[in-house]
Amino acid sequence: MTGYDEHECRDLTDGFAVYVGTGKYVVASHPKVLVTQALGSCIGVTMFDPFRHTGGLAHVMLPSPADTAFQGTLDRFASYAVPRMAEMLSEGGARRRLVAKVIGGASMFTGDIRFTGIGDRNAEEVRRQLALLMIPVLAEDTGGSHARTVELHLDTGLVVVRSYLYGMKEL
Amino acid sequence: MNPDQLSALQIDALREVGSIGAGHAATALSQMLGKAVAIDVPRIALIPVTEVPNVLGGPERLVGAVHSRLLGDIEGSIVFIAAREDLLALVDMLRSRAPGTTKSLHGDEEALAVHTASILISAYVSAIARMADINLLPSPASFAFDMLGAILEVVTAEIGMKVDTALLVLTRFSEEDMSIDAGLFYLPDPDSLEVLLGRLGII
Repeated sequence: MTGYDEHECRDLTDGFAVYVGTGKYVVASHPKVLVTQALGSCIGVTMFDPFRHTGGLAHVMLPSPADTAFQGTLDRFASYAVPRMAEMLSEGGARRRLVAKVIGGASMFTGDIRFTGIGDRNAEEVRRQLALLMIPVLAEDTGGSHARTVELHLDTGLVVVRSYLYGMKEL
Repeated sequence: MNPDQLSALQIDALREVGSIGAGHAATALSQMLGKAVAIDVPRIALIPVTEVPNVLGGPERLVGAVHSRLLGDIEGSIVFIAAREDLLALVDMLRSRAPGTTKSLHGDEEALAVHTASILISAYVSAIARMADINLLPSPASFAFDMLGAILEVVTAEIGMKVDTALLVLTRFSEEDMSIDAGLFYLPDPDSLEVLLGRLGII
């Protein structure tokens, strides 16, 4: 299964890591490892199908467009990316097997109300979308005020979260 | 106004805005350090909002950032960004200690670096305000020390709600011995571009 947009993914030299850029989402199968770097107020949403060892990772930047007249690409919004990625992974009734993990949504700058809210709003919208799709959230690592890098290993569905503050953490 | 629709003349005008703002900030820094401070010609980048976290050396680079929002007649953000070593060197210079004395950025050191950056931001903002004859103030500075991509992502989020393309006015500072290299970003709000350019008489 190939990614959503091959041009947006940079393959590492080992050929296994697939980088998911900010505001993008990618679907891949074992032995690929999906990676997204530097989640701040953004959210990394992983979906995993344990039966087919297939999964997806979305780097969601914002909850939903500011107004309905918004004209532009929608990939960076949770309200669009989460259902789209679930749809791509739902071939042949696989929707019922999907499990999700949610990472990120920090408030990087403390003291400015405009920015402290964005991470929480992102996390809320992602949870709402997953609930609508009836995809269970197995684990969460959200909030705080530190940046996170996320890897999704498609053999077991293991999620590795790395940060300067806490080092490595497995979900 | 969508930044994609800016004419070459308008982009030049914004570069001039950046250059005057940064000029004042450099003067302030030079007065604080007692040393000459050089600035580059500001770079104007018109890039997709999703690409902003990739500028300046990669999303996982560890940097310190001081951010202020613009309050008043126009909206936008100004961010001061420097690598850890540059912030430490800045603290050494302000305290007139030998280079390499400051080893960590906690408490006092952090407060000093943030305060200095916030003075640079104020100088930048007041220069724009005077040039365009508008009311403009920086919001209280907030500090983050983490991955560059995550910091830029937060700053761009508000622009990303409205349009696909972000406009960045980036100026780099370096002090005469080249021991400090820092950047000052100005991200105008898309809706405020018209106001700013209108006040400058370039429509």
